[in-house]
Amino acid sequence: MTVTSVRTPRSSPPSIALIVVAAVLAAVLLVPLGYVVSVVADVGWGTLEPLIFRPRVGELLVNTVLLVVLGVPLTVLLGVGGAWLVERTTLPGRRFWAIVLVAPLAIPAFVSSYGWASAVPSIHGLSGGLLVAVLAYYPLVYLPALATLRGLDPALEESARSLGLGSWAVFARVVLPQLRLAILGGGLIVALHLLAEYGAFAFIRFDTFTTAIVVQYQSTFAGPAAGALGVVLSVLCLTLLVGEAAARGRARYARVGSGAVRAAVPVRLGTLTAPALLALTALGAAAVGVPLASVVRWLAHGSSWSQPELPSALTQTVLLAGGGAIAAMLVALPLAWLTARHPGPLARLLEGSSYVAASLPAIIVALALVTVTLRVLPGLYQTAFTVVLAYVMIFLPRALVPLRAGIAQAPVALEEMARSLGYPPLLARLRVTVPLLVPSLAAGAALAGLGAANELTATLLLAPTGTRTLATQFWSQASAIDYPAAAPYAVALILLSVPAVALMYAQSRRWGAR
Amino acid sequence: MTTLSLTGVGKSFGRVEVLRDVSLTVPAGTRTAVVGASGSGKSTLLRLIAGFERADAGTIALGPATLADAGRFVPAHRRGIGYVAQDGALFPHLTVEQNVRFGLPRRLRSSARVREVMELASLDAALAGRYPHQLSGGQQQRVALARALAPQPSVVLLDEPFSALDTGLREQTRQAVIDALEASGVTTVLVTHDHDEALSFGGQIAVIAAGRLVQSGSPAAVFDNPASTEIAAFLGAAIVLPASPSSGGADCALGRVEVRHDRTGGAAGARLLIRPAQLALSAANGTHNAVVEDVRPRGSHAELLLRTAGAAPVLIPLRVPAHEGSAYRAGMPVSVTVTGGGVLYPAD
Amino acid sequence: MTRRRSRAVLAAGLAASVLGLTACSDDAETDPVAAASDDTLVVYNAQHEQLTEEWAEAFTEETGIEVVLRNGNDSELGNQLVQEGDDSRADVFLTENSPAISLVENAGLLAPVDQATLDQVPEQYRPASGLWTGIAARSTVFVYNPDELTEAELPASIMDLADPSWQGRWGGAPGGADFQAIVSAILDLEGPDATSAWLDGMKDNATVYQNNIATMKAVNAGEVPGGIIYHYYWFRDQDGTKENSGNTELHFFGNQDPGAFVSVSGGGVLASSENQDAAQQFLAFLTGTTGQEILGTGYSMEYPVASGVAANPALPALDSLQAPAVDPSNLNSVEVTDLMTDAGLL
Repeated sequence: MTVTSVRTPRSSPPSIALIVVAAVLAAVLLVPLGYVVSVVADVGWGTLEPLIFRPRVGELLVNTVLLVVLGVPLTVLLGVGGAWLVERTTLPGRRFWAIVLVAPLAIPAFVSSYGWASAVPSIHGLSGGLLVAVLAYYPLVYLPALATLRGLDPALEESARSLGLGSWAVFARVVLPQLRLAILGGGLIVALHLLAEYGAFAFIRFDTFTTAIVVQYQSTFAGPAAGALGVVLSVLCLTLLVGEAAARGRARYARVGSGAVRAAVPVRLGTLTAPALLALTALGAAAVGVPLASVVRWLAHGSSWSQPELPSALTQTVLLAGGGAIAAMLVALPLAWLTARHPGPLARLLEGSSYVAASLPAIIVALALVTVTLRVLPGLYQTAFTVVLAYVMIFLPRALVPLRAGIAQAPVALEEMARSLGYPPLLARLRVTVPLLVPSLAAGAALAGLGAANELTATLLLAPTGTRTLATQFWSQASAIDYPAAAPYAVALILLSVPAVALMYAQSRRWGAR
Repeated sequence: MTTLSLTGVGKSFGRVEVLRDVSLTVPAGTRTAVVGASGSGKSTLLRLIAGFERADAGTIALGPATLADAGRFVPAHRRGIGYVAQDGALFPHLTVEQNVRFGLPRRLRSSARVREVMELASLDAALAGRYPHQLSGGQQQRVALARALAPQPSVVLLDEPFSALDTGLREQTRQAVIDALEASGVTTVLVTHDHDEALSFGGQIAVIAAGRLVQSGSPAAVFDNPASTEIAAFLGAAIVLPASPSSGGADCALGRVEVRHDRTGGAAGARLLIRPAQLALSAANGTHNAVVEDVRPRGSHAELLLRTAGAAPVLIPLRVPAHEGSAYRAGMPVSVTVTGGGVLYPAD
Repeated sequence: MTRRRSRAVLAAGLAASVLGLTACSDDAETDPVAAASDDTLVVYNAQHEQLTEEWAEAFTEETGIEVVLRNGNDSELGNQLVQEGDDSRADVFLTENSPAISLVENAGLLAPVDQATLDQVPEQYRPASGLWTGIAARSTVFVYNPDELTEAELPASIMDLADPSWQGRWGGAPGGADFQAIVSAILDLEGPDATSAWLDGMKDNATVYQNNIATMKAVNAGEVPGGIIYHYYWFRDQDGTKENSGNTELHFFGNQDPGAFVSVSGGGVLASSENQDAAQQFLAFLTGTTGQEILGTGYSMEYPVASGVAANPALPALDSLQAPAVDPSNLNSVEVTDLMTDAGLL
């Protein structure tokens, strides 16, 4: 049943209250961007110029740009290649490999970096950063590619074959162009992650803007030098965001006609089967095997489990991340409602600002919140509220995306139907819309909350005095090179990530099937 | 079972006027089909009646009770008006039985009433436990009807309920729905863009165009005497020929035709409406008034294109049984006779 | 105890923040520290967490006063205190090195330390102002891998490491406060021009590590022949598994060389603290016999500086190190970070 096609003659205008709430939320979300702008305005270009145009920034720029320019294509190669192998070929054990390929998402990048650094101590610099980051982040391309391949109408490929194209030509000329949105979207997310990552790179001595900002922060607190680096980093992020939007253009790919999608006839790998299996095994070993083996090795070290802080860190992580999840849903709900139920210029503006806000790295969000709470709202300084707010800013898209899909699945026509059956408006919403939203509310909250549970950078800067999360405890042990003491935290972080990854994987399969 | 009456109803969205001065009475226990092209405002009319939107002007009343006028607005949930949407709008998280039971008052939520309306809508009781996505399109529509009928509303509104269905299923579902409505005796308004559906639905048809109610009456009366050639063409294939009236008849390219209804009001210059079914065709023996322009065999029938003879030729498409079609060839002169008279309209 | 309370308060804060996103300006509900009992001591701790936790536990046991730590490093917390100003919730500030506490002192944020406490500490380990006191000391050392460097090749002075012959042959952690303190000593002893030149040499020569342990580990693994660290990282590892120092030796520069710099860890009470008594008690405790013995006998391996407590017997005597005479009050952290930023090390 396609409820989504129910016609409403015109979307009714949103209530004033909804507009006000959404506008206030969007304004709050834009605080980090405002911070970046105010650094430029406050400190003045005269102070900033020498801080920005200096050799060190040049080095960081080269490192960071190389990381993105080399890292993104590599993740696209692994992500698309992997998705194609498990979705469209005769590879043996495709279901197994489909899950192996998504598994690295369950290992936070800084834990993976710890695993690699303790297994191969000499790993460092750009090559090390690339290795760790590509292995940690390629699933962000793999998942959308998998969903797209699953949803592609094989009739297109069959038509191409009937026009005389071979398997590879079909892939290059028909499949790949249709993957453009998945590649662009996934690539953007990977690039933003690369720009925002702190722990993974700090661990293996690879300097990017984000690691340099943290070092500056540790040397001068929220001083102008950190702000100056933050300005450059924010410009990089926003450039990527705009670039992706421009490259995407108005492209929308949809299947023409109705009728169910048939499964595609898989491509026969033949003699390429063995190399393909070998490549996937190597990838799985590098991305999952090495980090897990390191963790297990340090766990076996004996002293490992005598971590008195573990239970309290777990509790505080659950409380903070749970608060972050609930708050993210509370913020996402009016925004998603507005964009799904009352599309229009206002909704687009609010949606756009939420994406701009979320594209800024955690370190910028943290710097902004430290500065704003210290100077403007001292009552919020060093409070759990501020940490939760940072989580909302960083993980809002994770909550927004499923929620918006959920609201689209619960069209206003269903509420009208309930009203025509005698239910007053609020009761109609409660009986019809709310039950329909529960799965997407749960999915959004889980994704945002589990992201928050693994968050390191902003938590390091913002956590209230005395608060330690799994991630910050792991970080403090691991950066003191106390590998055995860090291992239990690594295990806890991985276990906490597994459900989120399972959810994302299930979601990509469902989107594909639609 | 109550009479539904609309008086002078108007509605705008922003600057766009969607409905203007619509007055319509649906007598208690009867069925009315509102027909119009898409964008004509007919769905909005239904939403005003249901109480999903507020009218800007006019009165909507149910029997003696005013539902909406300048000072009064009864919200949708207090109107007791059932609604069936285009694709059913079944609640996806509820089973068929839960959907049907949804609008029943607590004390009536027995499975007896649910079974009763399901039976009324020709639904197999075995479907009760299924979820909407496990039903066919036709079944979904019938569940939607059963759900709307269950609380015994005084009026049921149907918004293009059959348009999403495949052709075969559509006819079958439509009949099941009409039977159920007939059996329950509920006052019904159907909105559709399909003229056949509208003409065969029930006691009254109301034609809506560009937000205005342009004609209403019994299907036979409206079809027989359309208020304009546009309405005529909307309700079925129409042939409009230039004609000159003369004492009880009119002269046109096909000769003299009797005038059934004269809508010219005495103006000079006129057009004559006839239906293709009124034409009889024979090979010309001596005199002819048309020439076959083209013959297209279509298996079960043939489509002919005729060009009238005379100074200002007119092309007339005509459908004849296959075996007759084979008798004609392009260029052949034919004789066309008109039976049953036509409707005369003023010239453009 | 402390932990349980802060957890409960955190939960309350979360509930409040989640239930009403607008109820944000209400301090008492959302601020775990403010809501904690008034006599809980808030310590901005740049010292090693493990050490300060040992101190805090012993202090709580002795006085019943609970202590909550905000951990960070010297410059971060020092600058943070300056930016927080009178609004700070900190009662006590403990550093690893003196520049950060001088920074806070110069901002006029410290209250005078009780005379009784000052009397426990010899004059060379505290500033004349009496606004803070030394609580521990650590010596700069050159850790090296004998497989890579012979004794004859060892640098006579830390200043030699800027020489091109040392390119790629030593490492350090310039992002850390420890290293920045060493640079501040160089600045104090050699002046800004020489320091600037030395930092440029370091930029060319040194491999940059995240911290002292990472530097020592790299030397131990033979990734780099030598590195500048503080002594206690090496002695702690030697005392334990030797996993990160087994292949290394220490070289003390001596000779009043800037590289023989002994850094004083500072402790001070914030003037804005509403817990002056408890805060002063805490400083008195740290510099008293019990507090200093934790340094001498515990895991720390830092040098005790007060109450006549002896250092861990594994360490060379503090007065045998031939450290240069540096007045801790003179060390300037702001100029150091500026110089290091100019040199491209930050």
